[in-house]
Amino acid sequence: MSAIETHGLTKFYGDLCAVQDLSLTVDNEIFGLLGPNGSGKTTTVLMLTTLLTPTRGSGTVCGHDIVRNGTGVRKKISYVPQDMAVDIKLTGRENVLFFAYLYGVPAPKDRADEALAVMELSDRADDLIRTYSGGMRRRLELAQALVHDPAVLFLDEPTIGLDVAARKKIWEHIRALKDRGMTVFVTTHYMDEANQFCDRVGIINKGNLVALGPPPDLKASLMRDVVTVLTDGPCPDPELPGITKIGSEGSETSFSAENGREALLVLADTLRSRGVAVKEMCLREPTLDDVFLQAVGLQEDSAGFDYQKFRTMLRRRK
Amino acid sequence: MNSVVAYVGRDLIKWTRGRVAVISSLIMPAAWLVFVGLALPVQFTGNYLDFITPGILVMTMMTAGLSGGALLMFDKILGFLNKFLALPTPREDILFGKILFITGRGLIQTTIILAIALLIGASLLNPLQYGLIYLVLFLFGILISAFATTIALYLDDHDSYAAFSTMISMPLFFTSSALMPYSVMPQWLRTIAHGNPLSFAIDAVRDVSEGMFPAVPIVILLVLTGVLLALCMTVFRKVTV
Repeated sequence: MSAIETHGLTKFYGDLCAVQDLSLTVDNEIFGLLGPNGSGKTTTVLMLTTLLTPTRGSGTVCGHDIVRNGTGVRKKISYVPQDMAVDIKLTGRENVLFFAYLYGVPAPKDRADEALAVMELSDRADDLIRTYSGGMRRRLELAQALVHDPAVLFLDEPTIGLDVAARKKIWEHIRALKDRGMTVFVTTHYMDEANQFCDRVGIINKGNLVALGPPPDLKASLMRDVVTVLTDGPCPDPELPGITKIGSEGSETSFSAENGREALLVLADTLRSRGVAVKEMCLREPTLDDVFLQAVGLQEDSAGFDYQKFRTMLRRRK
Repeated sequence: MNSVVAYVGRDLIKWTRGRVAVISSLIMPAAWLVFVGLALPVQFTGNYLDFITPGILVMTMMTAGLSGGALLMFDKILGFLNKFLALPTPREDILFGKILFITGRGLIQTTIILAIALLIGASLLNPLQYGLIYLVLFLFGILISAFATTIALYLDDHDSYAAFSTMISMPLFFTSSALMPYSVMPQWLRTIAHGNPLSFAIDAVRDVSEGMFPAVPIVILLVLTGVLLALCMTVFRKVTV
């Protein structure tokens, strides 16, 4: 039994298709769902957390059907939405204790203390949230989510709006949770974070899953190596076999090739023999950004703004 | 049931930490008691303060209910509702907790107003009468908070809801039997007042103060409360699926 399984999961808002035929299996890993804004990430999470009924298709979480056995699903999961919703007039401990009571866990006070300790908030537990920083508030939400020891944790954009240090800390906590046996389903649009911390990622665009796999595999399969050349003056395209010019920006020109190390030497020789003053060359591996751009294409903000559609979408998503 | 208690507890702590809100919610009904109950030169009843106190108690409950209507809508707008809905506890508990909190908060406020009324000269009743008065106020509280929560969830926007509650609170109060007996009302007002849900609650409290058992108003309040609770649950289910 996998932690999360979906078959042809589809959601329409009116005639707008938010998620189309999504089939996924996720098991004890950090799974990152990536995609541009409005691509269907949040809709997917809302369906999996039983907050939204799918139009078609089915899904299970820990073996419980997300439509027929919502309560069964909710007993196994925790969900931390994108908008930071913690009560600022309550202390950290009160906020966590409140969730411990709601989950009906045995010994709620001890469980709350434990969750606060895991998130390194014990020393500030009795301060009002009003005095917490953004990163601390996010960690507090994680503590609330941990209080009943869920099997699957859903995080919607957990690091949005946080500074670099706070983000890193959140991800370290997420990884520690996974090591404790939790399945973590996270959405993000920070590629570098997904690359660094997710075991597997799925890229979703306009409701369709366009890429799926561990980040290294995706990078290897979708893109070739990238060679960047810094020259004095213009750099002509030597039109060598297997080396494609991607484009140039100022004095910097990029080429892609199957094997970057070899291409770098060939390029250097050819360019120098043609009298191009090469100042610097570098070889870089494709990043998840490249994968993302190749899979999704350059996002233009959706052509024409349909106000009516936008309104129905907002209404349904809240 | 435990989760209802947890939801009520959360709102209660939040409310008591906002001192301005606690005090300001008492100023208006207290002002009515003092400036209208004591100062208005009216002849149509013996002790006007005794006459107007039931009206002010019910008004306090109405104001508490209308201002509480926005609470669930805010939980929805700020993202709390989604977190609560993803919990294994029954989803209706969120709604019941909210309605109970609003009603309970109203009862605390009416208790303070009642104490002020006694201080400035209203007649003291016996414990059974106070018990009945609290029963009526509790029923009316559930009724008004279910109504307010339904409207707020339906409007789904704070500005619209604030405008709505301002719009209805004064007319509701003035067309009820709060300020004058039916006998001195003009005919058109009497007709409206007899159909005003505020009047049912006010008349019931007044009957109790005069030593009667207000069976009919209580039954009407029970029926109305049931209908509105059902309506509120329907709207709640609609916005949460």
